[in-house]
Amino acid sequence: MQMTKPIMLTINGQTHPIEADPTSKLLYALRDNLGLHGPKFGCGLSECGACTVLIDGEAVHACVTPLTAAIGHQVTTLEGLSVGGKPNALQQAFIDEQAAQCGYCLNGMIMTAQALITRNPHATRDEIKAALQGNLCRCGTHLRILRAIERITQPQNQTNPSPTGSAPTGATP
Amino acid sequence: MSARPRLRLSRRDMVGFATGMVVSFPLLARSDMTKSASRVATAAPPPNAAKLYAWLAVHPDNTATLFTGKVDVGTGAQTALAQIAAEELDFPIDRLSVVMGTTSETVDQGPTYGSLTIRYAGPQIRAAAAAGRAALIKRAAAHFATSADMIEARDGFCTVKGAPHRRIAYGALVAGQRLDVTIGATGRGFAMQVAPHATLKNPKHYRVVGQSIPRKDIPAKVTGAFTYVQDVKLPGMLHGRVVRPYGVHSKLISVDDSAVKQIPGFVQLVRRENFLGVVCETEWGAITAAKILGSVLHPKHPQAYAAKWSNWQGLPAMQALETIVREAPGQEAVVFERGAVDQAIASAQRVLKASFQSPFQMHGSIGPSCAIADVTRERAIFWSGTQMPHQDRHDIAKLLRMNPDQLEIRWVEAAGAYGRNGLDHAVADAAILSQAVGKPVRVQWMRWDEHGWEPKGPPIVQDLEAAIDAAGKVTAWKHHMWVPTLGDTTLIACALIGHPNRVGAIGHGAPAVTYAYDFPNARITGHDEGKVALRTAWLRSPAQFETTFAMEAFIDELAAATQTDPLQFRLDHLKDPRAIAVLRAAAAQYGWQPRPAHAKKPQDGKPAAGRGIAWVNRDDTRVATIADVVVDPATGRIQVTRVVVAQDCGLVINPDGVRNQVEGNVIQSLSRTLHEEVTFDHANVTSRDWVGYPILRFDQVPESIEVVLVNNDPNYPSHGAGEPATCPTAAVLASAVFDATGARLRQLPFRPARVKAALASVANR
Repeated sequence: MQMTKPIMLTINGQTHPIEADPTSKLLYALRDNLGLHGPKFGCGLSECGACTVLIDGEAVHACVTPLTAAIGHQVTTLEGLSVGGKPNALQQAFIDEQAAQCGYCLNGMIMTAQALITRNPHATRDEIKAALQGNLCRCGTHLRILRAIERITQPQNQTNPSPTGSAPTGATP
Repeated sequence: MSARPRLRLSRRDMVGFATGMVVSFPLLARSDMTKSASRVATAAPPPNAAKLYAWLAVHPDNTATLFTGKVDVGTGAQTALAQIAAEELDFPIDRLSVVMGTTSETVDQGPTYGSLTIRYAGPQIRAAAAAGRAALIKRAAAHFATSADMIEARDGFCTVKGAPHRRIAYGALVAGQRLDVTIGATGRGFAMQVAPHATLKNPKHYRVVGQSIPRKDIPAKVTGAFTYVQDVKLPGMLHGRVVRPYGVHSKLISVDDSAVKQIPGFVQLVRRENFLGVVCETEWGAITAAKILGSVLHPKHPQAYAAKWSNWQGLPAMQALETIVREAPGQEAVVFERGAVDQAIASAQRVLKASFQSPFQMHGSIGPSCAIADVTRERAIFWSGTQMPHQDRHDIAKLLRMNPDQLEIRWVEAAGAYGRNGLDHAVADAAILSQAVGKPVRVQWMRWDEHGWEPKGPPIVQDLEAAIDAAGKVTAWKHHMWVPTLGDTTLIACALIGHPNRVGAIGHGAPAVTYAYDFPNARITGHDEGKVALRTAWLRSPAQFETTFAMEAFIDELAAATQTDPLQFRLDHLKDPRAIAVLRAAAAQYGWQPRPAHAKKPQDGKPAAGRGIAWVNRDDTRVATIADVVVDPATGRIQVTRVVVAQDCGLVINPDGVRNQVEGNVIQSLSRTLHEEVTFDHANVTSRDWVGYPILRFDQVPESIEVVLVNNDPNYPSHGAGEPATCPTAAVLASAVFDATGARLRQLPFRPARVKAALASVANR
């Protein structure tokens, strides 16, 4: 633990000067200094993925990333995915699929999926599962999360309309 | 559709109060958060339930707010309750926002638990909204100088019948006033009767109830704009962390504060008996200080850090848990008795017996418990994601030795809790820290605090015994269960400050089982115990996940013993038409072909496929589940490939919301079945992170979960959907593994080593 020092971070395309302990982790600078609450504290141990952000497009766990490791790099948070204040295509797919219960893990799911889509735009279900293997969801929303991401990577396989709308009884595959 | 993130007038602002919290936090933009969270001088009590303004506000811009003492624990209850209100009020649902839980703004409708929200709060809100509609029609009649029966209310407007131009918005009728109309209310909590004289809409005219309205909270949750309790910030707020004892009952011997005092922004160490916490200006400072004091993932020993603890070693050996549960003192309670069981068993040709065990399991919230407290001498305000803000107001008042009217709990959604986890305990921690420093303090537990100290679901032991006659019919059924307390409501902080009995009670176990079979002789007995080893509190489908495992897995054993198809065996012994309906509906969706379970022996170590079926009646919701599994004898790994669920929870308010809950229940209970077991040594819980307490990951998610909704009809009142589909899963998997391999699994969880041991015992038979 050290005294705070001025540090320049590039977050969501903008440069932000902050005052923070250089021995601290990136997550706390994002949440506490910059008020970016997309990334969540889940474990602090790089075990659950709730804190995921992108650094130069790669998904990393902000809870264990040294703050100084972000200096000079492009950091993207969940808030930075929105386009003109609107959800991006991936975020909209999560809305369309109603892919949330409590939603606390969603930051990690969406950020990890965003990194996957960038390097593998047509990822299969198995590839998506492999990419999300380090992300925990306790509510059991996994299948909806997979379907939401497949709306982007496998649009040709989308046979099912949005789950919402009027469909009172019957089975959903 | 999303909630509109801007400020509206609250009821109390409209009548001149200065302190009103306005809209539920999740609906607020961040700038509004700070504004509404400025330090207030006094707390406000809940509103009068007999007044319309306690439930509804209509704003000048023709938006409206529903106020409910219920909260949303991630299940979508907010949207479903809004649908019920919008339906009866004849108001557009996308213009209706919901304030939940905040004690100064809402009526106490009982805690949010037990899958009881739609069942009990639904009718209360329905009646209040119907009374609201009638009050608005009355005002419109006066406005147009006509009679009430000449007014038609629809989509937020009142219109004179036959005169479409004579139309006025609800907002214009209310004109910025609060709805000071007496609608009446008697009773309390779940049992409260609201607006008993209100005329309710005929369900055949429903346009909003029964629709899969998109959830109000999801857009903000996917963009990061949503405010969870973990995200609340107050002006001047400090950060606290707790430092829990090394052993459950270790005593704090000494604290060396020299190192933590050097931390930049250090504010105060707070020590009361065995309660230890630290407050700093920054969150990282608090985490660093707590680490120096001994808040780490795996503490080395009780004296290894700046806080020195006694070496308490009073927990029993984990390996002895079954014996301890069997031998713990308790009350025998017969839940159900018919005929002469002992006589029938004594004279039977064939008797089967089996014992089932389940371990301590945890709620395992992804977001560790968090609360913010602002305690002064005059009043105490809390921000919490608790399932029971109104109850917490009284409990924390007792902790602080204050009058409940000096307290206000502002409810803000937390990460899912699935029962009573650490959220209430974090409020108590924050209260103590804020009281000590006289400033607002945010406390978030570290992962090891959550895993180590959240109250667990208790271990349960069950013995089953049944007699079968020559025709393959069950003539006697005996089910005996040993159940430690499900609901210890004492607060951790109270115990640590030396007043363990100040709030709550340890409670006792209860046999959560709905016996439904039609056996001529049957006896179900519970051995209801107090605390055994670890602190417990209700975990999703409390005890009934475990009792359904034993009961339905044993039914499968009986079906196999009589070479009967396991679906047919159930149908042969059931009369409950709703149970039969869900079993048949699940079977039809699955494409069930009748045959006895194969009971094959593992072939050459090759993966083997099987199917299983089970059902439950949990508080009048019936669920039948069928699953396909593949068992790999080489690894002992069980992969679930397909799941079919038929659920009858009566009239469904939001079909996609119920499906989402069923899917979640299935996946979470798969995780509990396949992976989850709390471990402990003689001092404390040792499964203190996701490595020590693994849960299901994406690689073990089934290919599909198909959900059929049965009796989704106004003739069947709405029952719970938040828990019941958890119950059948373990029995379904145990039966499917038997079908695939001939091995019986009777102890949770079904981890690979246990599966391999069971397979080996079959191979050696």
